[in-house]
Amino acid sequence: MVVYSFYIFDRHAECIYKRRWLPRPTSIVGKSRSEAAPTGLGQTVRSSDDDSKLVFGTVFSLRNMVRKLGGEEDNFVSFTTSQYKLHYYETPTNTKFVMLTDLKSPSMRIALQQIYINLFVEYVVKNPLSPTEHPGGVGVNNELFEESLEQFVVRAV
Amino acid sequence: MYNLEFENTIMFLNYTIALSDLGTLSNMGVFSLIIINKAGGLIYQREFQAGLRKLSTNDYLVLAGTFHGVHAITRSITPKIPSVQPPSPATSSPSTTTPAASHSYPNPGVPVTGLDYLETDKFRLTCFQTLTGTKFLLFTDPLTGNVDTIVQKIYELYADFVMKNPFYQIEMPVRCEAFDRHLGAWLRGRT
Repeated sequence: MVVYSFYIFDRHAECIYKRRWLPRPTSIVGKSRSEAAPTGLGQTVRSSDDDSKLVFGTVFSLRNMVRKLGGEEDNFVSFTTSQYKLHYYETPTNTKFVMLTDLKSPSMRIALQQIYINLFVEYVVKNPLSPTEHPGGVGVNNELFEESLEQFVVRAV
Repeated sequence: MYNLEFENTIMFLNYTIALSDLGTLSNMGVFSLIIINKAGGLIYQREFQAGLRKLSTNDYLVLAGTFHGVHAITRSITPKIPSVQPPSPATSSPSTTTPAASHSYPNPGVPVTGLDYLETDKFRLTCFQTLTGTKFLLFTDPLTGNVDTIVQKIYELYADFVMKNPFYQIEMPVRCEAFDRHLGAWLRGRT
């Protein structure tokens, strides 16, 4: 299983945390990439910013569609394309957790719930120094949360 | 003679009704079908079995348009895996390496598609897009198997009874009685 990226959106539709795990490049060559790095990096950062908005738009529209068709208590769980799988979990306070993985991964709903309960609540919500809202990711990007998220994903893989 | 034939017909009818009931109860959980044309307009909507909420025609039109857009976005957010530039001699001109070739997709060899399956607690949505951009949205029970076969068959029926209908205007709402009849009969007759 490969995890490509992970996003958290708050109830104001703002992306408060995003992280990408890019797999190793497909072709392995001994040459160092140092000269290609600056442009490649800039490209990644910009498109990832746009990506988070697109991801939010997608899950927001699909969630509304699912609620309309299946009733208020229906939940959108995941969707699959030929290339990737998107998992979705929403807390009662409308914080949205989204994870993009490869096609072989099982349902990650429990995993996303665990991330919320064991990591987000423990290290972000219960952190006395963190504000109640997280505009621009303030409070979420603390070391403890990022470190344990990294470990969680590595363990799940 | 007449009487016997009549009785046979009745028996046959009862038999088919029993069969179709069995089919509906065992593994056929097809809730509804939506067909969206390549511009995102709703051209066909039909409900086969209760299970989803009923929407107004306007809501179905909005749903079709929304889905059309979301489908395009899901294709564009496909993760790109950066690939290292192939080792080229230092003398070769750098302009030959285009940025488009600097990444690959997770499933190389498979064409990039938009949303194919969507799962929720209550239903499963299968989207099949034809080569010309028409989308078939099939809403089924989450436990229904062989959804791809069902969609393929529906596509066949669409090709036979809608596209081959000389009175059908392309991209316009589907009003073909033969299509309705065959679709209903086939879905009911499946066991």
